[in-house]
Amino acid sequence: MAGLQYVLKRLALMIPTFVLVMIIIFLLVRLLPGDPAIAIAGDKASDADLAAIREKLGLNDPLLVQFWLFFTNTLQGDLGRSIMMRTSVSDVIIDRLPTTGFLALFAVSLSLMIAGPLAFVAALNRGKWPDTVIRTVFQVGLSMPVFYIGLILLTFLAAKLRWFPVGGSGDGFWGQIHYLFLPAMTVALYTSAIIMRNLRAAIIEVLDADYVQFARAKGLPNRLILGRHVLRNALISTITLLGLSIGNLMSGTLVTETVFAVPGLGRLMLEAIFARDYPLIQGLTLTFAVLVSIVFLLTDLFQSLLDPRMRLT
Amino acid sequence: MTRTLMAAVLAATTALVTPAMAQERGGTMNFARYDGSRLIDPIYADRNPDIWMVGSLFDTLLRSSDDGKSIVGGLAESFEVSEDGKTVTLTLQSGLKFADGSALEADDVLFSLDRARNGDLGPWSGMLGSVSDVTADGNAITVSLSQPDPTILSMLATFNTAIVNKEVFEAAEGATDQEKSAAIFATASAGVGSGAFYMCGFEQGASMDFCANEHHWEMGADGKPLPYLDKVHFEIIPDDATRILKLQAGEVDAVEFVPFSRVAELDADPAINMNLYPSTRIIYSPINTRETRADGSANPLNDVRVRQAVNYATNKDALIGLVLQGAGQPMTAPLMSSSTRLASKLDLYSYDMDKAMALVKEAGIEAGTKVTLTTLAGSSDDATIFAALQQMWAPLGIELVVEQVDGATRGAKNRSGEFDIHTYGWVDDVNDPSQVTGWLGYSPVRNAVGTGWESDKFNALFEASGTEMDQAARAQQYADMQKIYADAAPLLFMYETPFAVAVSTAVDGYVQTPLGANIFSRATVSK
Repeated sequence: MAGLQYVLKRLALMIPTFVLVMIIIFLLVRLLPGDPAIAIAGDKASDADLAAIREKLGLNDPLLVQFWLFFTNTLQGDLGRSIMMRTSVSDVIIDRLPTTGFLALFAVSLSLMIAGPLAFVAALNRGKWPDTVIRTVFQVGLSMPVFYIGLILLTFLAAKLRWFPVGGSGDGFWGQIHYLFLPAMTVALYTSAIIMRNLRAAIIEVLDADYVQFARAKGLPNRLILGRHVLRNALISTITLLGLSIGNLMSGTLVTETVFAVPGLGRLMLEAIFARDYPLIQGLTLTFAVLVSIVFLLTDLFQSLLDPRMRLT
Repeated sequence: MTRTLMAAVLAATTALVTPAMAQERGGTMNFARYDGSRLIDPIYADRNPDIWMVGSLFDTLLRSSDDGKSIVGGLAESFEVSEDGKTVTLTLQSGLKFADGSALEADDVLFSLDRARNGDLGPWSGMLGSVSDVTADGNAITVSLSQPDPTILSMLATFNTAIVNKEVFEAAEGATDQEKSAAIFATASAGVGSGAFYMCGFEQGASMDFCANEHHWEMGADGKPLPYLDKVHFEIIPDDATRILKLQAGEVDAVEFVPFSRVAELDADPAINMNLYPSTRIIYSPINTRETRADGSANPLNDVRVRQAVNYATNKDALIGLVLQGAGQPMTAPLMSSSTRLASKLDLYSYDMDKAMALVKEAGIEAGTKVTLTTLAGSSDDATIFAALQQMWAPLGIELVVEQVDGATRGAKNRSGEFDIHTYGWVDDVNDPSQVTGWLGYSPVRNAVGTGWESDKFNALFEASGTEMDQAARAQQYADMQKIYADAAPLLFMYETPFAVAVSTAVDGYVQTPLGANIFSRATVSK
């Protein structure tokens, strides 16, 4: 019962967050320099054509009127029509969401698969050569820009060795695994470096904790100590970090999807910004806000499962 | 005698058959584009990625000749302009069909031209401003004009006058013309055009497919209808490096808009043909010629001598070397590319530092005079141009500073006059110099590309050229306009660039025209 109340409370807290996001994005989009009518009709359009476009889009209405329209339509599930796509914003987002969702989940899975075992190896060999090698390699990954890592992977693994396709998103589950491996790995290399550092530090801290020393003194097998006591406690802070990383990962898709020609939400956002497609920018930002909020909620729920002290907070 | 005749017949047959045997049909050409199409409708296409694809799906009554110098028949097998220049009579080919096999008739032509000149619909209606009426009698189409129009044949060869299927269009979903157009595009309807291809697949912003139109009227070298290809598959890959990697990995057969810094590398690749197609693309920089800047401060570029000085101080060959790796040429016609009809060939401010120094001295420019160059953020070409100009103009006492903005902001600044000088480019949409001349110099249209420059004499010449049917007299008017414009220097005249398209050696026959149109109808891909 307390758990359900906790979830409901968290869901209720999302409402003001979304309202705030709507206000901020509405104002920020309109603060962008440049006339959306020019972005739509092009530099060659006549002044009369631009005036007609502004009128049609309601850009001449007072800001409050425009916001109220956006707000009430959004509450009714209508995100408007994309100016550049000439179709419903919801349809465009629903069309692209699976690709970005798949890419994000794939990247997170790869991050955990890379970071988890290596963090354990590094922590259990603290100060020895495996620890130094792992930390150095990840430091290099962390210090390189995502687009650069992407281009290196593309050049060698796709263009030279032809193990993976250069771009696109593929069809079906295995098709997507094949096509999205390089973009997911590009993101994962960066994310796993952050997770590995955090998890290693947390494992070291837990290994030194009294209850672990007590378990050892009790004669519990090492496997049991690591699995039941060390991993569970070390994961608490790492899961928070993972949640935050997924939030960052969403913004990272702008670069990754462009470099790898993946037709997802990130690339769409970039196109929408350049085209000053107000409804699409607003719709995408709101979608990202919803996704990130859901991830944060799941993070908190998972944390409360691991740490009972958090359940009633 | 019989043997000789047989030999002749055999030789003739061989000559006719050989190209047919050599002509490979079928297959798919995979083409990587820098940006996707959003609506390929003749009258609504307003971005190059849309405009340049119209010709693959639709046909116009007339066409530009291969060299771009004259107009030839398209859907119309013959055409004639009356002596008073106020009537154009065209005769449609017989047996024309749309891609769904339905007949293309005079009714479709009337419908399409009425759409094209409807000022409430697309942005290009002004190009048919002289047309007062279009009528049909059987296969004969009569276009009546309110005044003589020397551009009318070019306009009937331009994408916005392409013929659409009236029946398909009217049956489409939607309450308005634009909604119907969007619905047809979204469902990739086969019957809307008569071009060499019809659209058979579309994923917004990701990919697009064109399939061969088996009813197309134009014949290939083998005597069968064009195109040779079964299909063209387009992938949208905005990133230059990724697009090129796709070609190098063999995943696509062609990539467009190759950065000039990569041209030499791709040219050296034996598996790739690096094509530089002649274009009407010019790169120039509008100069704000107003007396004061938008903030009210005095504008040094208001003085024509300063504008001439910066033109003389700009080493165009060096810029071409730096930005285009040599793959371009300095502008020689002040209002257009050298390949546009009626282009003058002038010595357009060849690099002369002595003249430049003398002009700024005469104009009284003080050392440290600040001028802002507005460039596109993220454009390596613009960054190179700025770095070069900053050094080239420093001896004049001009301190060039940079302001980086995105395309929409640059466009807004151009219209409002809130700039000193900014990078810009142009590609003709029409096979006639009137469009680019109106854009760059005729002040009532767009303040002479936002520069604020105004010349009554120039404007009068431009207006007169709009109804001048005597070709020699019109050529003289254009020569005069170009001279006036060159002397006034409202632009930093820079260079012309080709269209850089890299194709696999398996591809043959693909062409990009000087107006930018992608032509796949004679393309083949070796299997």
